[in-house]
Amino acid sequence: MNIREKVLIIEDEKSIAHFISTILSSNGYETIQARSGSEALSMVSSHCPDLVILDLGLPDMDGIEILQSIRSWSSLPVVVVSARSHELDKVSALDLGADDYLTKPFGTAELLARVRTAIRHTRTTSSNSEIAQRGTYTVGELTIDYNKHQVLKNGKNVKLTLSEFRIVALLGKHAGKVLTYDYIIKELWGPRASGNNQILRVNMANIRRKIEDNPAEPAYLFTEVGVGYRLAEDE
Amino acid sequence: MDILQIPKASTKLFPVSMRDLVISTAIFTCAVEICSLLRFADSSDGFAYPVFVLAVLLISRLTTGYLFGSLASLLSVVCINYIFTYPYWVLNFTLTGYPITFLTMFTVSIITCTLTTKIKQHDRLRAESEKERMRADLLRSFSHDIRTPLTSIVGATSTLLETPDLSPAQQRVLLADAHDEAEWLIRVVENLLSITRIGDTHTQICKHEEAAEEVLSETVRKFRKRFPHISIKVNVPDGLLLVPMDPILIEQVLANLLENAVIHGETTSQIRLSPCQDGEYASFSVSDNGRGIPPDILPKLFDGTLPRSEISAADGKRNMGLGLSVCMAIIRAHDGTMEAHNLDTGAEFVFRLPLSGEERQE
Repeated sequence: MNIREKVLIIEDEKSIAHFISTILSSNGYETIQARSGSEALSMVSSHCPDLVILDLGLPDMDGIEILQSIRSWSSLPVVVVSARSHELDKVSALDLGADDYLTKPFGTAELLARVRTAIRHTRTTSSNSEIAQRGTYTVGELTIDYNKHQVLKNGKNVKLTLSEFRIVALLGKHAGKVLTYDYIIKELWGPRASGNNQILRVNMANIRRKIEDNPAEPAYLFTEVGVGYRLAEDE
Repeated sequence: MDILQIPKASTKLFPVSMRDLVISTAIFTCAVEICSLLRFADSSDGFAYPVFVLAVLLISRLTTGYLFGSLASLLSVVCINYIFTYPYWVLNFTLTGYPITFLTMFTVSIITCTLTTKIKQHDRLRAESEKERMRADLLRSFSHDIRTPLTSIVGATSTLLETPDLSPAQQRVLLADAHDEAEWLIRVVENLLSITRIGDTHTQICKHEEAAEEVLSETVRKFRKRFPHISIKVNVPDGLLLVPMDPILIEQVLANLLENAVIHGETTSQIRLSPCQDGEYASFSVSDNGRGIPPDILPKLFDGTLPRSEISAADGKRNMGLGLSVCMAIIRAHDGTMEAHNLDTGAEFVFRLPLSGEERQE
């Protein structure tokens, strides 16, 4: 029998912790639960979980503090779960190092998909294993060739400009994860680039027209409105 | 009337504004011109006085506060005295009746200004109470839309808990019902959140330039998950269409319109979504091939006079009024417009958002 991944659920609402725990353990994960921030912090260091599911609204401290504290010494994947639905909360949690963000209410399929993606990314030390081994990333009919700086669709070069390629390459390295506008801009144009995401928008529109069959119904390049972009991941 | 666009009441007694200055100058110049022309027809000078009283009255009525009204009355007196009273082109304050002229002018100005201010206050109050009424109506709709699914959820789950000898099939039906109702509830709450996001009249919604195609594709992706059997077509403009908007709210509008097309279109199997640039506006059209909007409901769709009972009696479905009210509130907050009409088969809803300033086309 293989070793099961251990998931720490930090959630004060009993019924929510209960259902998350049930669905995860019936899908082959081992789960442990923490009801408060202080309990959570000690469990993170003593149990060394493979993944943390973190609710932001805890009775004794703000979940963001727990996220910051975990990030100060570990890159273990954290999926934030929160009832705060404003996109700015999402952006700040992601920028502070959360791997993913689920807004309550969420479905079980969505939860499982996010957990799988987050755990896969740690196994490959947060960059894609296929890229490390072969220098390419493939999803569907799309292949990003990191050595030749090309993106191929059905084997044909789609001829991206340099910035367009760099955006796709960055999204490919974190496929399945939402990258915030700010993060992409800073990675591409440096930390002092302006916060204006107009150039990014225009680039994205061009990329969509080059790689998508119908830019209005993308199959590869998804938008999380108000938050950022995500490249499809092979399931 | 756009009740979400009420100008703030000025609390100052003597506000200065460019608009008021232009109005006052124009009216005053007119008065001087008219008097100059009348002088050729009548040499008695008796016309000047009523003409200027009328000018002062108009200025006081059309400007805000007391400043321009009082200035106009002062100037009028000087003007009448200097230009239109014998001896011409001389200021003579010793004329008989001069203080009376001055006092009358001034009184006219003050009274009109006071009345104007009162009227404006009254308008504002009426608009506010109108808004209050709309808010109350919305809240009533919401509590209705929340209570109904809650009742089924509590009913289904307590039946499950208290009836031990249900067959697995029966249990599944009850559970599926509870699940559907809960999903419905989620959407009601999302609409409620949108309303709180619009906020009150004094806070502007937060608009950014967003790519229309990104907002559309997000909405469509979520819609597909919910209604996989409906075919939906999206046309995207060749160029990038950037529209100033709160994308989360516009997503809500699109989601509501799509949902209405399915639920109230009844026979809908196809939906077409097309954004395009239309002069100074970005126009978004949602059209379906369903049974269309009943002709008796159509004219009442957007004016808030659609009673709930009529909707439920008409088709037994919930949420028509609510979803559309939320759409309207959001579009209004964007200074946009929305309309609906029937097609040969089906219905079309179109909303337009202003592309403030220069729009950028790639």
